[in-house]
Amino acid sequence: MTQTMIQRVARPAIVLALAAACRTKGGAAPTRSDAPAAIAYPSHIAAGGVAPRGATLTNPYAGDTAAVTAGAALFTAMNCDGCHGGGATGWVGPSLADGRWRYGGAAGEIFSSIYYGRRQGMPAFGGIMPAAGIWKVVTYLQSLEPPNDVPTESWK
Amino acid sequence: MMRAHLTSVSVGAACITAAAWAAVAFTPGAIAGPRITPAAASDDGEWTMPGKDYASTRYSGLSQITPANAAHLHPVWSFSTGVLGGHEGQPLVVHNTMYVVTPYPNTLYAFDLTQPDYPLAWKYRPAVSPNAVGVACCDAVNRGAFYADGKIVYNLLDGHTVAVDANTGKQLWETTIADVSNGETTPMAPFVVKDRVLVGASGGEFGIRGWVKGLDLQTGHLVWTGYNIGADSDLLVKPGQFKPFYDHAPNLGASTWPKNAWQTGGAPVWGWMSYDSTLDLVYYGTGNPAPYNPEQRAGDNKWTTSVMARRPEDGALVWAYQFTPHDSWDFDAAAEMVLVDLRIAGTMRKVLVHFDKNGFAYTIDRATGQVLVAQPFVEENWAKRIDLETGRPVVDSSKLTGASRGNVKNICPTLEGGKSPASPVAYSPRTHLFYVSTSNMCMDYQAVPAAHIRGTPYIGANSPYYAGPGGYMGAFEAWDASVGRKVWEIKERWPVWSGVVATAGDVVFYGTLDGWLRAADARTGKILWSFKVGSGVVGNPITYRGPDGKQYLAVYAGIGGDWFLLAGDVRSDDPADVRPPADFAKDLARHTSQGGMVWIFAL
Ligand code: HEC
Repeated sequence: MTQTMIQRVARPAIVLALAAACRTKGGAAPTRSDAPAAIAYPSHIAAGGVAPRGATLTNPYAGDTAAVTAGAALFTAMNCDGCHGGGATGWVGPSLADGRWRYGGAAGEIFSSIYYGRRQGMPAFGGIMPAAGIWKVVTYLQSLEPPNDVPTESWK
Repeated sequence: MMRAHLTSVSVGAACITAAAWAAVAFTPGAIAGPRITPAAASDDGEWTMPGKDYASTRYSGLSQITPANAAHLHPVWSFSTGVLGGHEGQPLVVHNTMYVVTPYPNTLYAFDLTQPDYPLAWKYRPAVSPNAVGVACCDAVNRGAFYADGKIVYNLLDGHTVAVDANTGKQLWETTIADVSNGETTPMAPFVVKDRVLVGASGGEFGIRGWVKGLDLQTGHLVWTGYNIGADSDLLVKPGQFKPFYDHAPNLGASTWPKNAWQTGGAPVWGWMSYDSTLDLVYYGTGNPAPYNPEQRAGDNKWTTSVMARRPEDGALVWAYQFTPHDSWDFDAAAEMVLVDLRIAGTMRKVLVHFDKNGFAYTIDRATGQVLVAQPFVEENWAKRIDLETGRPVVDSSKLTGASRGNVKNICPTLEGGKSPASPVAYSPRTHLFYVSTSNMCMDYQAVPAAHIRGTPYIGANSPYYAGPGGYMGAFEAWDASVGRKVWEIKERWPVWSGVVATAGDVVFYGTLDGWLRAADARTGKILWSFKVGSGVVGNPITYRGPDGKQYLAVYAGIGGDWFLLAGDVRSDDPADVRPPADFAKDLARHTSQGGMVWIFAL
């Protein structure tokens, strides 16, 4: 399928610098300096929840281009592509290449998704993949460049 | 199973992937327990089992809707199921109640057809594990329920079979049949014969070891398990009883594989079943061998891509025939086996007719398994013909796939099949024709080595699709199975992915992927009426007589199955999962998106 997918893979986007920052939508706790005195926003829980444990993990391979290549190979070797599609553009599992995340796109959040699994059928790979391997896959996924215009699909 | 598909990258995976009951003779002493009062399949006012009758004809004797008046059909009622997954399968109508099973989360609705507005009598909401959603290869579909002995019996996606009191909606029993953590999911409709509930599991993309189980209708207890691959004893081959027409050696289910490869060899069961009461044989098809890279499984890989004939009571295997030995293209044989009597070369024969994913339509002696007619019903190029002496395809070796063969170009049909097994045909005894939803697509196929990791896909192929010769991607056709010849066809822009119902009014009904429900003249193929149901049709229309004596037509709308995967942009339920269109169907999402609806039409 999909020429699109194949192309995307053929140019393994390496935009590490951007990656972590751009994908964390929904992950950060709300902060507002103009909060009324009686309400301390940071102490409130964000809707949807933010997994504290995942959020505090840090990727030892952040910025490591060799880890991107190794992670891409693992993505195939561990049959991730069978569920998420080639280039991680989505199959029975969601797209991991659209810059959008159900469970958060911070490195630690992606790590948790892979390590512990997720309820709608994401297997827990923690038992069969060493943490180092999972971090390499995280590094690879964060390197994928989302398509130019994700929100709009136009036939004009 | 299922068709899988996917796509992969440099390496990757891609898969994408019943005779009138009144005639049933109980085998003396075969089954303990109360005698079942079966649904009267001969009553055309009702629709009690997926295929309408045990022969799986999907033919109704109702005749109020005719070519002369079909243009006056109009919707009389609709109901949102509240579910977005692919609405395969069909409603049942029993005792003036319509039963609808949704895709995951497999809610069962019972509509009271005797009251204005058809309000719910009850609904049943089982506790289904969401885990199954990501493990089902090709969307979280359900292919329907079976009514027997006052019970609605159906499968939950997560490997359970339930029986629910058809009157009260109370659960009578629940049995665990499959293991999701091993890649097994259960979208098929159970099939009830006498006191047995027959069930199977999907998972050809996960390297399961396919089976059929026989449960006790009264208790749900497991009575027997018959594997499709492995040693004869596991296949329930009993001394002197297993007589395949073409293949005679013992233990073919193991010896036609490299050592132990059958243990993860696929052969799932996710399609339809049929039953001949005189022969006392149940027929079903098996799915693809795993993985998709054929070089990891030298040999015929029996009994994948096969039709199996078993005794319902004890599961004993009586004959088997393999359509695509050593399948290199994901040609599951899960499609229905329709039991009809046809005049072939001047003689009346008891046959089963099967439209395979591999593009050939087979007419087979259903007592023996001998192939009588085998002709392509769609454009195909992987085999020159089927040799009736040996029963084997004469394969074009340039279309064989394998990791060492690189990217093999232009193979027709695709992994989706010349016909989707999930989209059953109908047969009219008035026209003696079969009505078939087909796909006209070809593919390139690049196999790669695949590793088996329990509970993850075991595939090893990347296979992009494109429209076949002529540029249109599907057609609805009428087929004469006594000679193997197309009689007429209606070309459609996209693959036709709905089931079919044929009627005594000589009108046939089918639906399209872009959401049109159509009525066609059974004799000429002229389109008589079309109505846009709001989402693509991947389910199977049915017809029944209402309490008022009128003929009604019912169908699900709700694109899905492989199509929500292939055309990921027909989804719009998840802002965190945005997908590009399938490159071969860029326009489909212009015309449809997901959404489950039940529709009822009348004159
Ligand atoms: C059996 C199919 C399957 C396999 C194999 C699989 N996944 Fe998943 N994955 C899913 C499904 C389904 C979800 C969505 C789960 C949910 O929403 O609860 C998911 C979710 C995820 C998420 C969270 C996505 C988000 O939007 O937050 C990540 C990250 C992920 N998978 C990565 C991987 C990686 C890496 C591998 C291989 C090591 C892998 N998956 C293998 C099916 C699978």
